[in-house]
Amino acid sequence: MASVEKTVEEVRIRDVDLEAVLDPAEADGVFRDSRECAALALIQGEGSLLLSPPTPRPKKR
Amino acid sequence: MKQSGASALLQGAVQDLASGVASALRGGGRTSREDLHATVRSTSDLDLAAARVLGADLLLPAVLDGTAPTGPEVDLARRAFDAYPPPVTAAPTVAWSHWALGHTLRRVGAPSGPVPEPGPEPDASWLTGAPWPSLTHHLAVLAPLALPGQDCAVARLARGRTLDVARGFVRAIRRRDWYQAAGAGRWLAVLPDVPHTLGLPSGLDFVELMGGGDARVLLQVRAARLIGSGVSV
Repeated sequence: MASVEKTVEEVRIRDVDLEAVLDPAEADGVFRDSRECAALALIQGEGSLLLSPPTPRPKKR
Repeated sequence: MKQSGASALLQGAVQDLASGVASALRGGGRTSREDLHATVRSTSDLDLAAARVLGADLLLPAVLDGTAPTGPEVDLARRAFDAYPPPVTAAPTVAWSHWALGHTLRRVGAPSGPVPEPGPEPDASWLTGAPWPSLTHHLAVLAPLALPGQDCAVARLARGRTLDVARGFVRAIRRRDWYQAAGAGRWLAVLPDVPHTLGLPSGLDFVELMGGGDARVLLQVRAARLIGSGVSV
């Protein structure tokens, strides 16, 4: 049974486009929310750049 | 559906392997490789593909603590190097990650058997003049090249663009792209003249807090801290 599972796994892995995994496109970004700003503020330290106000987003109509 | 199922299997195997490396880096300075030993003993095609994806970082604990890697570590890395040569048409990052794996194998040596020849450095001209967001993305993918004293075209190019990588680090955090942020943070740990106002240590803490559930993020954060602490390579 184990050998059957191994064969299935090996067949499946050949279906993967390894080049796409090794050269991924940049992930879609999402802007951080106030909860994360608060977490960052708690960390403190000298991260003045990271603690700067979030980038303004377009207002929803 | 077949593709997504296989991709999920591969990503799981990469996570397992990265978790072993991250655990080995946990100690700071001298590393403990017990967790890594447990993960590199697998020998399926899936593990081989996962080792190719993790690339040179598979050998990072040995590189950072200056000790010879174990036989299973080298064996897995060497078989991944041999099994997945980049095709002629490969994207530059694919060619560079393969070169990095071969270069690191040669650097750490092998307990037994021949060491593969990494060949000449791939072309790095595609990165020259790249806009800073794109530069940061590609450098994060090639984070295994971010080591103290690393002398290759990508590292030399990065050394001339510290401020751009710093901008990219902040942008990645703001976009919540924790993997890119961790990779950029690791590069900043080896780059000269990083602005003090960036707050790199706090930034790394934040990346770990938010993205540390991903073993690949954790690996890069721990590597950045170790390198930043002045570990000699």
